[in-house]
Amino acid sequence: MSIFARIRRIPFWSWFWFILGALYFLLPLYATVNFSLRMERDVIGFKAYVRAFEDPEFLETFLYSNFLALMTIVASIILIVPTAYWIRLRLPEARRIVEFITLLPFVVPAIILVFGLIRIYSSPFKIPLTDITILQPLTTFEVGTDILIVAGYMVLGLPYMYRSVDTGMRTVDVRTLTEAAQSLGASWFTIITRVILPNIRAALLSGALLTFAIVVGEVTLASFLGVPAFGPYLFLLGQHRAYEPAALSFASFLLTWAAMGLIQLFTGDQQVSGAH
Amino acid sequence: MSYLSISRVTKQFGDTVVVDDFNLDVEKGEFVSFLGPSGCGKTTTLRMVAGFEIPTSGKILLDGADITDKAPNQRNVGMIFQSYALFPNMTVAQNIGFGLRVRKEPENMVKQRVEEMVSLINLEKHANKYPYQLSGGQQQRVSLARALAIHPQVLLLDEPLSALDAKIRISLRAEIRAIQKKLGITAIFVTHDQEEALSISDRIVVMNTGVMEQVGTPFEIYNFPKTRFVANFVGSLNTADAEVVDPAKGLVSMDGVQFESAEGTEGRKKGDKVKIAIRPERLSFASEQKKANVVDATIENITFLGSVVRIQVKIGNTKFNMDTFNNPFLELPGLGSKEQVTCSKEAVLVLDE
Repeated sequence: MSIFARIRRIPFWSWFWFILGALYFLLPLYATVNFSLRMERDVIGFKAYVRAFEDPEFLETFLYSNFLALMTIVASIILIVPTAYWIRLRLPEARRIVEFITLLPFVVPAIILVFGLIRIYSSPFKIPLTDITILQPLTTFEVGTDILIVAGYMVLGLPYMYRSVDTGMRTVDVRTLTEAAQSLGASWFTIITRVILPNIRAALLSGALLTFAIVVGEVTLASFLGVPAFGPYLFLLGQHRAYEPAALSFASFLLTWAAMGLIQLFTGDQQVSGAH
Repeated sequence: MSYLSISRVTKQFGDTVVVDDFNLDVEKGEFVSFLGPSGCGKTTTLRMVAGFEIPTSGKILLDGADITDKAPNQRNVGMIFQSYALFPNMTVAQNIGFGLRVRKEPENMVKQRVEEMVSLINLEKHANKYPYQLSGGQQQRVSLARALAIHPQVLLLDEPLSALDAKIRISLRAEIRAIQKKLGITAIFVTHDQEEALSISDRIVVMNTGVMEQVGTPFEIYNFPKTRFVANFVGSLNTADAEVVDPAKGLVSMDGVQFESAEGTEGRKKGDKVKIAIRPERLSFASEQKKANVVDATIENITFLGSVVRIQVKIGNTKFNMDTFNNPFLELPGLGSKEQVTCSKEAVLVLDE
């Protein structure tokens, strides 16, 4: 059947809603691109892009945010995969409680989270009832602040990462695969790293992409913890310049689409195998 | 001392007793089937041997060593699952070699063993394929090879043929039995399919509601069921209410029709209510030479089942099925006609009501 014949078979209202949805998404994007290309009067060009990329602060903040995103993703996987796995395997009754906890970041705003973090971690850790300090306040040194912000980002990304991982585990028979591996002599570490993780890689990539998108664009935590991240940079740029933020926003879109394309590329095979 | 000993094993989930006082000794190289309906505790018992469940009480000894509380990955038992449980991210060869690599065997030894196993299951051409590229039967053969690759002390098979179609099921069960005999490995096979259990096993354990009903060879289980449950569950059976007439001679009466049983009715008194049970293939039309258990019957229905013809007859007020082998020259009586049917004294089982 030709593609036109297939298109004709789809009812009118399906097309109507599809086109309406697409316009809702594409029109603002088109406006942003159009605006970003008109930095010079009466000329369509990439000057805004050139100037945005030339700014050394752009690269610095962008790389730093990428580093934070990577750390967040790694830490989230280390925390969430064994948790979701254990709940599915041994504690199914705890699933509702954990799901509720994973939804909290939607209810508690980032501003509350960051003030809570600052309040708790800006004073030194002491052994109770003594004056012996075991750790300086995390907010007073660079690595400490990085740990703090990564922990905050893990909380923000929790709903996306947990749900992706949990959905991934639902598509494979975790319990039987675990038992099969155990009967062959595998330890828990071997089971998670060699059996479970490779079989949920599509879900992991989806969760990682969403976490990456959240971290790279995040403003509140980064601003209040005073770290040189990409989110606050973009925010400040938007207050002083007009065209460069539009150019960078569109570039961010392209980056996201590229990441989604990569996910499709890497997970295509697994989806085929999952269908069986 | 037996190779695998399951001694006084009980398993409770909360207040529910799933397996109750299970005792079984399995010899080395023996093929034992656990047979029973869903929920009878057969899979739970197997899982206790595998280490996936810990008994509430009792002991499991394997080659003299107590493995009751050992973790599954320290038991050296191979397990085959109904759903194959092959690792989707690994090829056939990688799946088979997984257990050996986990045990950190040298790579050349792993490769050699994988080749042996792939050749044992006749899947040499598929060694580099992924599970989703194989049929169900092929996947289960890979699962068998993977379990055997680690030289397990016991092979546990949890309804391995249930997900396969009828033809593959029959050929694969023969293959499993042939491989088990060739390697001389001790095997426990869980199934709810009586034909499967009868055809493949050295011994069968029939289970019901967590209790062992009978342990015996397939011949004993089929021909000499010890309980009403076994008689009903294994094979098809005609049963009818009856009354003891002469305990010494083994005479019982059903609707005024007398049957003589070879096993006798010892321990019972005249007038005791019992059940008689006769397998359909043990009934036949009476010839003149037959003297025992010749009774009048009316032909009610005739059903053609391919190799067998099932004739429903009415004896007294009770309907019995009678199976006879089909042949093109078989002369069948007309419906409603009066005939005499018979069975040997050995064919009449007397069970408690």
